[in-house]
Amino acid sequence: MEPLLRIRGLCKTYLMAPEAGARQPRRVEVLRGIDLDIGAGELLALTGPSGSGKSTFLNLVGALDAPSSGEVWFEGRDLFALDEAALAEFRNAAVGFIFQSHHLLPEFTALENAMMPALIRRVARPEARRAAREMLALVGLADRAEHRPGELSGGEQQRVALARALALRPRLLLADEPTGNLDPATADGIHGLLAAINGQLGVTAIVVTHNERLAQALPRRLRLQGGRLGG
Amino acid sequence: MRGAEADSEGREGEASASGPGSPGSTSTAPPNPTPTPTSTATSTPTATPTSAATPTPTPASTPAPPAFHLPAFGLAVLAMLGAPAALALVSALLDRAGAGPDLAFRLSLVAGALTAAALGALAGAVGRRVAFFEISAAGALLVAALLVGGVLLAPGLRSGTLPIGAWEQQGKLVLVLGLLLVAGAITTAAFVGSSLGFLLYGGGRFDASLSYELFVARAHLQLAPRTLLGLFLVVVTGLLPGLLLAMGISFVRALQERRAQAARLPFWRPRMPATLLMTLISIGGVAIGVWALTVVLSVMSGFEADLKSKILGARSHGVVLKYGDNDFTEWREVRDRVLSVPGIAGATPFVYSEVMLSADRQLAGAILEGVDPATVGTVLDLARNVRQGDLAWLDHPERIPLPRGTGGAEAPPARAEVLPGLVIGQELARSLRVFVGDVVNVISPLGDLGPAGPQPRSRAFRVAAIFYCGMYEYDSKFAYLGLADAQRFLATGDSVTGLELRVKDLDSARPVVRRVLAHLEGYPYRVKDWGELNRNLFAALNMEKVVMAVILGFIVLVASFTIVATLVMQVLDKRREIAVLRSMGAGTPSIMKIFVAEGLGIGAIGTAFGLLLGFGTCLFIDKVGIPLDPEVYYISNLPVRLSGVEFLLVALLSLAISYLATLYPATKAARLEPVEGLRGE
Ligand SMILES: Nc1ncnc2c1ncn2[C@@H]1O[C@H](COP(=O)(O)OP(=O)(O)OP(=O)(O)O)[C@@H](O)[C@H]1O
Ligand SMILES: [Mg+2]
Repeated sequence: MEPLLRIRGLCKTYLMAPEAGARQPRRVEVLRGIDLDIGAGELLALTGPSGSGKSTFLNLVGALDAPSSGEVWFEGRDLFALDEAALAEFRNAAVGFIFQSHHLLPEFTALENAMMPALIRRVARPEARRAAREMLALVGLADRAEHRPGELSGGEQQRVALARALALRPRLLLADEPTGNLDPATADGIHGLLAAINGQLGVTAIVVTHNERLAQALPRRLRLQGGRLGG
Repeated sequence: MRGAEADSEGREGEASASGPGSPGSTSTAPPNPTPTPTSTATSTPTATPTSAATPTPTPASTPAPPAFHLPAFGLAVLAMLGAPAALALVSALLDRAGAGPDLAFRLSLVAGALTAAALGALAGAVGRRVAFFEISAAGALLVAALLVGGVLLAPGLRSGTLPIGAWEQQGKLVLVLGLLLVAGAITTAAFVGSSLGFLLYGGGRFDASLSYELFVARAHLQLAPRTLLGLFLVVVTGLLPGLLLAMGISFVRALQERRAQAARLPFWRPRMPATLLMTLISIGGVAIGVWALTVVLSVMSGFEADLKSKILGARSHGVVLKYGDNDFTEWREVRDRVLSVPGIAGATPFVYSEVMLSADRQLAGAILEGVDPATVGTVLDLARNVRQGDLAWLDHPERIPLPRGTGGAEAPPARAEVLPGLVIGQELARSLRVFVGDVVNVISPLGDLGPAGPQPRSRAFRVAAIFYCGMYEYDSKFAYLGLADAQRFLATGDSVTGLELRVKDLDSARPVVRRVLAHLEGYPYRVKDWGELNRNLFAALNMEKVVMAVILGFIVLVASFTIVATLVMQVLDKRREIAVLRSMGAGTPSIMKIFVAEGLGIGAIGTAFGLLLGFGTCLFIDKVGIPLDPEVYYISNLPVRLSGVEFLLVALLSLAISYLATLYPATKAARLEPVEGLRGE
């Protein structure tokens, strides 16, 4: 059966400004050929030392960045053969992102943040609001809907980000250290939420974490090191 | 459109088992039936140690859009060709249809601009980009072609309603500038079109929705009604008082803060974000530009209208003349025929000559016009303009009172010689130092033939009335006398110079006098309307107005630079937000819409303020009045005329400039890659 996500020979090399005296730009090879299949409904933990390229990997899978070489097939479609408009559609509805530093829009309330993907999709405002409320309720923030990000705690912000990522019921959830700077109890709560959502909604999720204990709790674990994946 | 709706329903079921209400469709595209990844057929779920990590990676397969889109370039070239063609075509059609040259020129300009914009929009939609490079390249080609073609062809060109021939007559420089202007206008129109095409169709399908873009733009601008009201007051009070007040408030705040600190009380100081400050400055700039433009144009229109009413009150709306000398004797019959033409309100015969006037030792040149006192009232406002004396005394010179100084009051009138009457302007009377009843000698240089060649002919007249029409040129130059007296003095027999006409509707004067000519069956008669009679004056006024508008337009242009700066700052400030929106699936046209909306918002608010201020100022000038020294300006109050069309044009100009100002920052925002904004806090 066709896996949800099929990754072949994924490489990413960054070019940087040359060192003093040199003419060639410096090259940083972050990913050196990654092959990976992920089936629908899986829940993965991705670990690895800092700087090993976990965020880079998620950005490529979420089509926020283009690889130096290699392919990412999502539901049978080669992501990097899609045109700009199709990529936008993919980012909008097929995948949900939670960033390392949540990246909520500071001018908007929690509810408006969670509505944003639906609004971008041109869903009518009342319906977008209803769906966003539902998602906020799901992450336990129904009573914080009218707060702006600045008026929320770190854990609450991260949960709003989760609600926003899930707003359009994506098939794939990419969470980049959703528990990065949270206390263990709150981190446990977020991970529990992720597991629950994976179970309830059947959303495939890749969760990057530094926390070995939390990683061990997930059904499948991958480790990124030296630009390659290890079990 | 692409079957995504139907497909999404099916996908919904498997993706979200317990989704009670799915927010719209969630699928991206129909599933690809059989994907065949070319590499490793035996897919291992976990990491495969690939041998020899590729040191020189092959480029990714993403079809990167080309830097230069050839089809878009083709369309841009087509726009550059099509616009002049449309311009020429419409101009030729209107020329044939007989529209006035001004109207025809304007309409053909609009047609050319629309053509360029439409083809530019197509280029933007096809290239999925604001085709900066493509249109610039095509524009450069157009400039080259126009310059070469225009300079080579212009001498022999029959340009109809197009002003190319007129430009050519004014020299090469004017021609080149004119052609450059046309090329610039066409290129700009194509740019506007292409940006609109990208905004509406850049996502691969038509999307004119602005729902969340406006939502985001509003949040970025942070313009509360209170802030706007404050800004409006600052601008209304002429900046200085407003700024002083703002400074005072800020000083009081600083004092309070000190006191609170000294007392160790908590204190909250509201801070204005830098972007908001920039936004307010831009709005103020646009407002001031629009304000200045509307007020100055209205005042100039006021001067024009004032001049027009004075000229057209004192002088006729048109004349009927006859080729040849001294043989317009059938004027009574012609007058009857002219009066039967619809649209003609009055006609009166006149005799015209240039003479010298002398009184005591004062001398002045004047234009002598013999008028028929019985019918002149149907054409000229002469009777209404008379300040002293009486126009009727032209027919009854014996009734003219004699001046007091010569003992006219006590001496019996019979003793004074009865002289024919003369009506002169107030300024002329002043320079001759005469009053009603005084004697003025009229000297005609073309007099009788004496023993030593032609001798000036001189005759004494008595001032019957003094008029004031408000135009210095007329009040100091014109002298009227009875038609019969004039004919006798100038020895023209029963012939007149022509007929002066009054039309019912001023603006249709030209067609009406043309109709008169047709009615008189042309030669030997000819006609002129007031526009032709005063062409130099009105052309100069119009030119003055255009130059003024261009100069003041620069204020709006400078204000638009602040819009550019504000938006660039916004874009830099919101890099992260743009990236987040992109990561949530906002397309590039959508991001561009946000910043275009912000810039247009700034432009629209500024324009609205400016129009309001302009309207208020004009009302003030009109109702309260700004007195002028009548000795100097020959008008007692600053004139002003409110014209809806002018206000509308100013608003459109300001909005168009604002829109253009948004294009650079907005495309900059749209080009930001998602990863760029997400990295590096
Ligand atoms: N735009 C870039 N240009 C140059 N180098 C980059 C760029 N982005 C990332 N890198 C480098 O790539 C490497 C991987 O970065 P990445 O953010 O993927 O690491 P990470 O695994 O997510 O680390 P962390 O756990 O600290 O978040 C780092 O060494 C970083 O310096
Ligand atoms: Mg990271």
